[in-house]
Amino acid sequence: MSENESKKRNVVVFACNECGQGAMNTAGVARIGYDTAIKIVPLQCSGQANPVLILEALKDGADAVGVVGCCIGACHFVNGNMLSMHRIKLMKKLFKELGYSDQQINHYTARAAEGETAVGDFEDIMVRLKRAEKEGNTLPGGW
Amino acid sequence: MTTTVSIFRFGSCEKCFDETLLLPTDSSYAVDRVDDPAVWAATDIDVAVVTGYLLPSDKPTIEAIKEHAGQVIAFGTCATSGGIFGLASAKGTEIVPLPEEITGAVEVSGCLGDWFELHEAIQGTVSKGKKLCEACKRKSTCKFLSEVVRQLEPGAGEDEACFNDRGFACSGYVARQCKEKCIDQFTPCRACRPLVDHPGIHMLSMFGTLMANVEVGTEATGGIAGTDKLADGPDDVTRSVPDVSGLFFRFSLPVEMPVGKVPSSGNILSDVFAGRPIEELPLIAGMLGGRSAVSMQLDIIEAYEQDMGIEVPGAVKDYRASLREAEGQLRAAVESADAAAYGAATELIRKIAGNMNLSRVFFGGFKAEIPDAGSFDEYKAKIIEIKAGTYQAGGVAYTLDGEGKVTEFTWSVN
Repeated sequence: MSENESKKRNVVVFACNECGQGAMNTAGVARIGYDTAIKIVPLQCSGQANPVLILEALKDGADAVGVVGCCIGACHFVNGNMLSMHRIKLMKKLFKELGYSDQQINHYTARAAEGETAVGDFEDIMVRLKRAEKEGNTLPGGW
Repeated sequence: MTTTVSIFRFGSCEKCFDETLLLPTDSSYAVDRVDDPAVWAATDIDVAVVTGYLLPSDKPTIEAIKEHAGQVIAFGTCATSGGIFGLASAKGTEIVPLPEEITGAVEVSGCLGDWFELHEAIQGTVSKGKKLCEACKRKSTCKFLSEVVRQLEPGAGEDEACFNDRGFACSGYVARQCKEKCIDQFTPCRACRPLVDHPGIHMLSMFGTLMANVEVGTEATGGIAGTDKLADGPDDVTRSVPDVSGLFFRFSLPVEMPVGKVPSSGNILSDVFAGRPIEELPLIAGMLGGRSAVSMQLDIIEAYEQDMGIEVPGAVKDYRASLREAEGQLRAAVESADAAAYGAATELIRKIAGNMNLSRVFFGGFKAEIPDAGSFDEYKAKIIEIKAGTYQAGGVAYTLDGEGKVTEFTWSVN
């Protein structure tokens, strides 16, 4: 196993109380496994995933941060998922402007009845993180 | 008993250092002005006033100041958080905010710092001031935006509407009122006096939320997920805000984000300007040009006007000539440490340019009315078109890309 594969990571996933956590619970019931690096932080809505929280997580040692909300048009708080997407898009641009990878953060959607949607999101988070690490472009953490 | 005050000039545009000339001379403190802190003959003092941005190489001097001063005051946003020069941290320059080195340092932020607040701080009273939005005549509704604009036509009505409501990003939400008050000169605030910790990321969050109705790109997640995720490619959100770091983090980049990895040009001024959009250059030059702010700003403006064929009315040319003249008076006043002459020169600059950040000055004219001047239409600024190219006038030369962002910038003092 390569060093990149065996490295222990911490990935914070902010998940909304509706489809996000719903899909993760469904994945658990169905015993679908996922990377142990994933640490789920429940929120009422993905719209509460403030950039301040995301930046704090990265600063305090998270290797990547994902936000999982309801599907587009299905947010239980009208448009919290879209608000979060807009903010994360600006954060991605900020990271690139500073010469860092924009792959350490992203926003996803999931369906509560389908556990594999959440697990698929986790897989994408890990693929992106490993890509950023390979490029040597991750944020240093603890700045 | 006389309070001994030493004022230190570290790297910066020197405007805050110069502004301390206005401190009352009849007060009960004796002022020593230290032009070169590196060779300061350390002696015990009651108050040390630090102006300018600090580099890691300044740390021994800061240690000496900390050891010999009863109280340390960081004066101006360069000292408190790295200030506008802190934008160079995106290109690998480590800027050291003074409060990170000296716990308990009193912070008097502002670009330009307010000499009266410094006077109060020396005497031990620090007033925080109102929130900017409380002091602003415009009213905010915080309605979601469908479009973000990079420029607004001055004097086109709706003067009561918040800039943000009109899609024109203003960081007043996270700022305190300051003496310069750019918002009164039809210039959105960039939060040189933050109201909250981490003003940049808070403002990014606020404006990102306001942009709810601007199209954001999504794509299929793929794999086993079969749902949607935020797309990586450019979309209306990224096109709307060409310079996220310069817009939201203009004065706070070193305290909020790690030192960047973008290759440096080797010149801190060029690094600050690189990446900034053309419509922001006049204000940035007004803020960091120091004793040459007028020349730098007008050279930037005139370079673009000449190439783009922007018509400049005679009244505007006259005002610009007066500004250049006032700048000459300001330089002479600073060189002779003549506080009265300095006050007169800054008063004239403030009258024409609105404030010491020259916020009123823009392409084609002025963004707000000049007191006792003729009809505003005779000298009103214009919205400019964005065009890639290389522009040069006076001591300034810069190159813009297709988005109107600076890729190269050089400046030589005339």
